[in-house]
Amino acid sequence: MTRVLVTHADSPIGRRIVKTLRSDDSVESVLAVSQAPTPPEFDNRSRGPIPGLSYQRADLAKPRSMRRLFRSPTFESARVDTVLHIPWHGLAPLPPVSGLPRRTAELRLLLKSCREAGTVENFVCLGSAFVYQLLPGNANRLDEGSELDFDPDVGPDIRSWIDCDMMLHEPLNRGPFRTVLLRVPSVVSDDGSVYFNPSVSGRPGPRLRALGFDPMSAILTEKDLTQALLCAIHSRESGIFNVAGRGAIPLSQLARWNQCRSLAVPPALLGWMSSGARMLGNSASLSEEGPHLRYGFTLDTTRAERDLFFRPSVPNELVRQMPPPATG
Amino acid sequence: MSRLHPRGNHQDSPNEPVPRRRKNALGRDPFEELASPDSATDGFTPLPSGTEPFVEPPLNPEPATQPRAKTRPPGERSQTSESNDAPMTDESTPPVSAEPSRGWLDFLLGEREENLQKAFESLVDAGTRYDRYGFSPTVAKQSFPFFRTLYDYYFRVSSEGHEHLPVDGSAVLCANHGGLLPFDAAMGIVDVALHMDPPRVVRTIVDRWVGTLPWVNIFYARVGQVIGTRKNFTDLLRDDQLVLVFPEGMDGIRKTIRQRYQLQEFRVGFVEQALRNRAPIIPVAFVGNDDQMPILYDIKPLARRLGIPVAPITPTFPLLGPLGLLPYPVSYKIVYGEPLRFEEQFEPDAADDPKLVATLAGQVRETVQKLLDRSRK
Repeated sequence: MTRVLVTHADSPIGRRIVKTLRSDDSVESVLAVSQAPTPPEFDNRSRGPIPGLSYQRADLAKPRSMRRLFRSPTFESARVDTVLHIPWHGLAPLPPVSGLPRRTAELRLLLKSCREAGTVENFVCLGSAFVYQLLPGNANRLDEGSELDFDPDVGPDIRSWIDCDMMLHEPLNRGPFRTVLLRVPSVVSDDGSVYFNPSVSGRPGPRLRALGFDPMSAILTEKDLTQALLCAIHSRESGIFNVAGRGAIPLSQLARWNQCRSLAVPPALLGWMSSGARMLGNSASLSEEGPHLRYGFTLDTTRAERDLFFRPSVPNELVRQMPPPATG
Repeated sequence: MSRLHPRGNHQDSPNEPVPRRRKNALGRDPFEELASPDSATDGFTPLPSGTEPFVEPPLNPEPATQPRAKTRPPGERSQTSESNDAPMTDESTPPVSAEPSRGWLDFLLGEREENLQKAFESLVDAGTRYDRYGFSPTVAKQSFPFFRTLYDYYFRVSSEGHEHLPVDGSAVLCANHGGLLPFDAAMGIVDVALHMDPPRVVRTIVDRWVGTLPWVNIFYARVGQVIGTRKNFTDLLRDDQLVLVFPEGMDGIRKTIRQRYQLQEFRVGFVEQALRNRAPIIPVAFVGNDDQMPILYDIKPLARRLGIPVAPITPTFPLLGPLGLLPYPVSYKIVYGEPLRFEEQFEPDAADDPKLVATLAGQVRETVQKLLDRSRK
């Protein structure tokens, strides 16, 4: 039986994962951790004790808060053996912590705390597939061995994903716990919200798009994401795995789903506008300049299907929207 | 903690209603507009609870160890369209609930093109209306009448040797390239679509440079052209597709008038892929492409400076400005040769031998050149 700690459990993805884990027979208990006050669905006081679920408030980027979490009676009693880290994945810039982007700082501290705790056997972390280097064209089919984008001009959001990715290489190679990194593309929820995409996720507002380009975006439904995480928790394999659904759609359509206004600008001006928006403090809503605004990609999930037994499905909602095929 | 919008920030409630904004016309690409009739391009609504999930069959089955392509005997016509079914669909596809709507395009296109539409549909991922390379049946269907008109009335294409094309399974169509703009590829695609029963969609391998061209990259992707990477080539052949390659590459389109119909050096990757994926190579000769826009001189230093493959001087360009880039209404002839079945002579491991691969590529080049010379007589 597995005892799981879920970080950022108050996020829509986190809530869904916690709910799925609770209904999984092989999961004994779930310790949900988040910076926010106790969400109603995790609140023991208002609804009475929820079997197998406890909630602890903690700021993952602050050493003191993390020490308090890992030494708390809740953590002790939960006897956590698996940590499921859902990194912060909004686009709005949060203030850096100790000179590091918040996402990077959180992962760094979490890894350190897990090492010190000594009880953690499995560490499963979500990563972004936008860390890969993209070449011109829509047909970048990326597997786990594809090169990462080490361009020094890469935007800060993607750079922090790359930093997180690199940070996980140490536990991947040396332990002390089994580590699984799932690189995910744009995650689409049932209501059409899009996460993990540096072009359209985040606060509503205009999105920059390269004029004359409409890159294909690999997509993953929340349901598939949850399935992949469960596979990663229960598998004995460690390593990096690409996880994506069957479908891919153009960026313009993804933006429409997320109800973002897309503002197409000549590619030569993208960098200027993006930098200008950052300087004006508006980078929360404008997408980051990068190859992902011009060139599309899909993920080769063969490894995840073979080793984790992940089975991506076609998004049900999309199937329903399909016009019926011609008859006769 | 700062409160951010629920759609983009996970620290807020997901249940908070989000106001719908009116659609914005800013920044839409013309091809995006073309695709708008798809109902799937609109925002989707959540499934009612209790709906059974649709389970997708496995994609990219392992390549067969035996050659899979079958050629149709001369004169025989296929009676079924099952052989062209997509690797992405099976009986688990939701049942058809309504008659498909018929628009003006359907009346214009007729029965053959309805079958072609089925072939288009069979390529896309169930659910998203696009394949992984960006192919859209809607855009392909809407652009087909234009290219059909060019085929029938502008280039007046005649063709022969369709019996060598496989009715199912993968194959590599290997052709000569020329004429500055790739109308030869377009005519080849239309020809295969019109002369095969059931119609098959040819996927052309294009240079990576095309991916850097605004709008052109979108159009190419929407009508099924694929950037030529090793991985893409492999995936297309594993998906049992007809892949059209121009092994001369960019050297083919920048041939000057003195080099017309003389094949340039062949790249060898297509032979390697054909061997590994057990696909036959079908030589194809395009006659007419080198006459559609004869290049008198290629200003190579200028092309290098501008970062383009060719800076041509033709009888009409740059004399007539952009109009000078229109191809001349030459008559096209397309001839398909007998398949070269290297996959029956060699094991897949033979693809690891660069000398052998280069020799086989040379054989293919020789065959295409002979076919071309014979077709021009």
